[in-house]
Amino acid sequence: MTVCQMLSSSMEDYLEAIYHIISEKGAARAKDISKRLKVGASSVTGALKALKKRGMVNYAPYDVITLTSRGEAAALDVIRCHEVLRDFMIKVLAVDEVDADAAACRMEHSITKKILERFIQFAEFVEVCPRGGAKWIAGFGYRCDHDSSLDNCESCISQCLKGVQMRKKQQEEKIMTPVSLKSLKKGQRAKVVKVRTTGSAAASKRIVEMGVTPGSLVEVERIAPLGDPIDVRIRGYHLSLRKDEIENIDVELI
Amino acid sequence: MKHKLVVALAGNPNAGKTTIFNNLTGTKQHVGNYPGVTVERKEGSCPYGDTEMKIVDLPGTYSLTAYSEDEVVARNFIIDEHPDVVVDVIDASNLERNLYLTVQLMELGVPLVLTFNMSDTARIRGFEFDLEKLSSFFRAPIVETVGNKGKGFDQLLSAVNAVAASPPSRNFGEKIIDYGKELEEELSIIQEMIEADQALVQKFDPRWLAVKLLENDKEVWGKVRSLPLEELVAKSTAHIRDILGELPETAIAGARYGYISGACQEAVRSTVEARHTMSDKIDAVVTNRVLGIPIFLGLMYSVFQLTFTIGDPFMGWIETFFGWLGGMVQGWWPEGSDSFLQSLLLDGIIGGVGGVVIFLPNILFLFLAIAILEDSGYMARIAFIMDRIMHKIGLHGKSFIPMLIGFGCSIPAIMATRTIEQRRDRLVTMMVTPLMSCGAKLPIYALIIPAFFPQAWYGRMLWIIYVIGIILAILSAKLLRSTLLKGEAIPFVMELPPYRLPTIKGVLLHTWERGRLYLKKAGTIILGVSILLWAMTTFPGLPDTLSSRYVQERQAVEMANLLDEEKALQLENIDNQESQAALRHSVAGRIGTAMEPLLKPMGFDWRIGTALIGAFAAKEVFVAQMGIVYSVGEADEESETLRDKLKKNYTPLVGFCIMLFCLISAPCMATIAVTKRESNSWGWALAQLGGLTTLAWVVTVLTFQIGRWLEIGMG
Repeated sequence: MTVCQMLSSSMEDYLEAIYHIISEKGAARAKDISKRLKVGASSVTGALKALKKRGMVNYAPYDVITLTSRGEAAALDVIRCHEVLRDFMIKVLAVDEVDADAAACRMEHSITKKILERFIQFAEFVEVCPRGGAKWIAGFGYRCDHDSSLDNCESCISQCLKGVQMRKKQQEEKIMTPVSLKSLKKGQRAKVVKVRTTGSAAASKRIVEMGVTPGSLVEVERIAPLGDPIDVRIRGYHLSLRKDEIENIDVELI
Repeated sequence: MKHKLVVALAGNPNAGKTTIFNNLTGTKQHVGNYPGVTVERKEGSCPYGDTEMKIVDLPGTYSLTAYSEDEVVARNFIIDEHPDVVVDVIDASNLERNLYLTVQLMELGVPLVLTFNMSDTARIRGFEFDLEKLSSFFRAPIVETVGNKGKGFDQLLSAVNAVAASPPSRNFGEKIIDYGKELEEELSIIQEMIEADQALVQKFDPRWLAVKLLENDKEVWGKVRSLPLEELVAKSTAHIRDILGELPETAIAGARYGYISGACQEAVRSTVEARHTMSDKIDAVVTNRVLGIPIFLGLMYSVFQLTFTIGDPFMGWIETFFGWLGGMVQGWWPEGSDSFLQSLLLDGIIGGVGGVVIFLPNILFLFLAIAILEDSGYMARIAFIMDRIMHKIGLHGKSFIPMLIGFGCSIPAIMATRTIEQRRDRLVTMMVTPLMSCGAKLPIYALIIPAFFPQAWYGRMLWIIYVIGIILAILSAKLLRSTLLKGEAIPFVMELPPYRLPTIKGVLLHTWERGRLYLKKAGTIILGVSILLWAMTTFPGLPDTLSSRYVQERQAVEMANLLDEEKALQLENIDNQESQAALRHSVAGRIGTAMEPLLKPMGFDWRIGTALIGAFAAKEVFVAQMGIVYSVGEADEESETLRDKLKKNYTPLVGFCIMLFCLISAPCMATIAVTKRESNSWGWALAQLGGLTTLAWVVTVLTFQIGRWLEIGMG
């Protein structure tokens, strides 16, 4: 169940507005909300009561309004929806900002989490895929404004191929030089690439059993005062590891 | 007749297993040891309807591989004792890692109930679980509980009952988890060979065995012993190393996590981004680069204070009580009579029991502090902070606490080694802890230093003695690590659990348990040895001819025409001479005399030897015994007459050697008794006694001989 589906679209608008007002002014009042959403004071009161019933806001008449942690999470969900859609329209569909904002406002309520994820993935894909990229989008804009033409296609493709080769080489270099988990500094995040067979088998197995598996994300939270064991966050908990026992764990910095 | 069920509680450390156990069983608990190991076995009973559930609290483990004693015990219990139901206690706010054990239990094919404990914390941290889905992924019913608030226990018990009534069936050799193409290929070859062996198929599930063998599980290999299988598995291992570039055991562990991640992706939703929690904020201070160590030392100081300062008045009361008891018992006999029964009651039994009970306040307060440190999660931080130093001596960060407490008293210190999970680390720590000069050795130094050394050197000498102890402890730890207790260094992979407020009930139960165990297990040994020592210093009594001589002398003094004061003085003198003669005549005195050839190289004579035997009861007894052998009557460390006698008879070098020997040699009998109890082996207790005494002898002989050769401290 996504939050978007649990609330009506106007409720979500209210949550969003309250969140924005709170982040601007510190606290929200009914007056601010009615001004921002351009609705009457009575409908604001009605909406606030409904939201309170769902445990989204802390509200009492004539008092300032704050969001509960649930309400905040829901508001953040809606805002994220809004931003993703807006970005997609601007970046991929080459729509101008004002139009994109207005359309996102209406679309944000009716989109499921899964489709939203797809929007994000598609935007990323377009940026990364050799056949897409920013230039391709620019080409799309050009084609929309001008009549369709195939003049520049050949030179465009050859340039594109060159770019692919460059990127491939860069990536290989990155893979060629993974660093040891040991060398990470405080605050650095990394993805585990491999547990080499060089270390002590017992130690490696133990470390993997605690969840440091290839593909998992680690973050160095702190280093002990005397510089040796390090405290890493992995799978949502803290693990203390001795530096010489994690020498054989290769990671890629993120 | 009630229906009986055996229910085992398994789960990660810090998942709240103990709280659930305490809640289920209340005070109906029984603590013992698993045979041959130092792991504790906790059992309790819990009635449910017409069923009587025997709940066994297995040691907290992250996995069921034969990595530590705890894990071997937990796994063997499940395999060998076939509990009717295994309840896997899971910290719901740390799901993925906790489910690793679940996957292994699932592979074992035991009737399983999952408890999502601390589900309230998980909610607050923004997790939403689809319990139905999770339950089908992990093939077991799931119950949500909040251990410290006592929520969800009825559901838990009814789920346990339901599973026990109809245990889930599993096909023989069924594949529970798909380990991926490469591993599966090898696994199926291994499984085929296992299935061909009737003897193995009867004992193990072939699929489980295949996985365990490829995982290179030493315990399981010990039970299998098949050369063709070994060859096959070695080949598979090499093959997997070649194609995957990792060892099969890490690949298998990785695949299990893959399964868990997949399940969680489908059935767990996290609404709130993991933010920095309260726990992180605390850690930012207490493990801070600059503040970390001072805070730690400050806390340790408070623990010390709590143990020894607050414990002190209680010890005083206990002493007074036994003094009063002794006085009362003495009153049963007419004054001046010397019945053996009186002596046995007074010096043997009351003295012995007093010697046991006197440590109880220390032990209770120390374990109160340790329980708080441990339950709150700070203990793991101590290991985190101190590991660098301890690692250098080949020990674990957690060994620091027992060694520090050793400066107060070895008995609670050795009991504190309990927090170290690895048996080898624990044993090394136990063995060297007595080298941390304990409080009872202080009276010896206080007697000897002023007798032989100038005032300016008092502090320095004391410091030197303590430092020698520390250096010897470090060296001995290294030595033990590379000889008797060597082996692959055990990896220091430790969870830093989130800080939690300890529950009063949990802390008190823990403290009480330690105190009870001490009285019951160590107490009986201490009492026995103290009676033995009493007998050794009492028997055989002086022959009649001799004692009648003292009687005659006394009579002569009584008759003589002397002032009262002078009379008393002379009488006391005779008394002292008699007790000196009696001690020399006793078994202890004879042993002391017989040991002279051994004592000579250290510069000691029979007097010191006899006093050392007495010191085995408790180190501070050395001072009193020296008083008797020098016929100065009741002596304490402030005794000037005794100091004068010492100065007359020995050189400062010998004085130093006495301190050295007392520092290193055989710890008191209570220490040996506690070591026996904690290591669950007389072998280690006697090794401690023998090893330390030998070390003391060697060091003291070397010091004395070199000192004499260089003519240091002769005058």
